Amino acid sequence: MAKRLLAFSDRTALAGIGYTDFSKNSGVSTLTLACRAILAALDDAGLGVDDVDGIATHRVGDSVPPSTVGPALGMGAPTWYLDQFGGGSVSHSVVGQAALAVAAGLAETVVCYRAINARSEFRMGTAASPGMEAQYQVPYGLAQPLQHFAMAARMHMIRYGTTAEHLGRIAVRQRAHAVKNPRALMRVPITLDDYLASRWIAEPFRLLDCCLETDGACAVVVTSAERARSLRRTPVLISAAAWGGGDSFLSGASPADPTVTAAAELAPRLYGQAGLGPSDISVAMLYDCFTYSVLVQLEDYGFCAKGEGGDYLEESLPFNTHGGFLSEGYVHGLNHVAEAVSQLRWEAGDRQVPGASAALSTSQPGYVLPATSALILRRDS
Amino acid sequence: MTDRDSAAWWERVAEGRLEVQECSRCGTLRFPARAFCPRCRAEDWRWRAVEPVAEVDSWIVERRTTPPTTIVRVRLARAPHVVMYGNWRAEREPSPGERVGAVFEDGPKVNWVPRP
Ligand SMILES: [Zn+2]
Repeated sequence: MAKRLLAFSDRTALAGIGYTDFSKNSGVSTLTLACRAILAALDDAGLGVDDVDGIATHRVGDSVPPSTVGPALGMGAPTWYLDQFGGGSVSHSVVGQAALAVAAGLAETVVCYRAINARSEFRMGTAASPGMEAQYQVPYGLAQPLQHFAMAARMHMIRYGTTAEHLGRIAVRQRAHAVKNPRALMRVPITLDDYLASRWIAEPFRLLDCCLETDGACAVVVTSAERARSLRRTPVLISAAAWGGGDSFLSGASPADPTVTAAAELAPRLYGQAGLGPSDISVAMLYDCFTYSVLVQLEDYGFCAKGEGGDYLEESLPFNTHGGFLSEGYVHGLNHVAEAVSQLRWEAGDRQVPGASAALSTSQPGYVLPATSALILRRDS
Repeated sequence: MTDRDSAAWWERVAEGRLEVQECSRCGTLRFPARAFCPRCRAEDWRWRAVEPVAEVDSWIVERRTTPPTTIVRVRLARAPHVVMYGNWRAEREPSPGERVGAVFEDGPKVNWVPRP
């Protein structure tokens, strides 16, 4: 793959990660969750609140803005902040934009967070969908992201012969990872038969195709690569950060071909920034709101050809080693970034991918808001 | 649920008419209703009746309702780039690529049945 490094490639790094507990009912406010995750990430980096001059999040009316979180932690006035509208599809662009701000000198150290009581307070799909397209869908009972993904999965099955067993294999594999992850909500192993016996939600999706609704927060610290090297953790370099959409961006919530996602358009740009290709990736954190989104991203990020995602699972690279949203918990994207960081620091314990040197971490590939975002991270050498 | 671009479209559906916008300059058909032609950017357009026939792209069976609800995604036969969603009104499941016809129901809604 041709080298086409951007000015900011490898100039910034992830220097800390932090989590709250994941649960079905945190019993605390989203503000408390945000503060806990941020303090944990700063502690991991060996930094304090006074070291932070940038703060960023994304939300869809379900969380607390930087203008609440900053004062609550006694932060000084930020020199840069971001309060991005959007859900899973923008999760990685928040980190990418923080990296841009640091590379451009607008801020030195940015903390990115996502805090949601997504089970006990703001359940996904219970509010009206954003955007003008909802009026043509909601009257027919089409109102949830889950249903759009199920519709796309059916098309993939029709066109490429993808099967329930293929989707089930993803659920089973991610659960096996979660068994090794003390943070994961679901740690009882499952079999393909368990998957096939789980109840229908919206055919072709069963319960075990769906991510967990989770209360929790996650935060990451972005700073310059130079500064990260002076801190206590192995720096994880941000080699590439891309966001945007393809055909789906131009056709709203009804992409012309739902078996190809915005990730297919974004992937060449992303790999080009890093000067890497799919074969250079050691481990991938693929946005797994549903099993199908993993399968379609294995294709659209170039690990296999379009339509071959199901068969490729037999030989695939390691993905979602924390268990993902299906089995660790659903924090809307940042827990994928944090797991990628753990893998690249070689601190992922029993689930460590030996010698992991580069990781892909991705956002919702563009079925709800018609865009996506992703990062390529690299262990500092 | 309607907006200022779409209200007239829904009024037509309530009268049992399936129409989409046609650009007065380049003839491109478009749906959902909106002010500008995405192809030539003209703002002039007229309603164009389209044959209420489509092909099934995909469907889901929502099992959390009683009885289950089948929702289809279809493309209009005369304007395959136009995607619409609706409920499936038949005892059996749809099949891929099946030709279907529109039925107008209270709501207003455009739903779909197997084409006789
Ligand atoms: Zn036109």
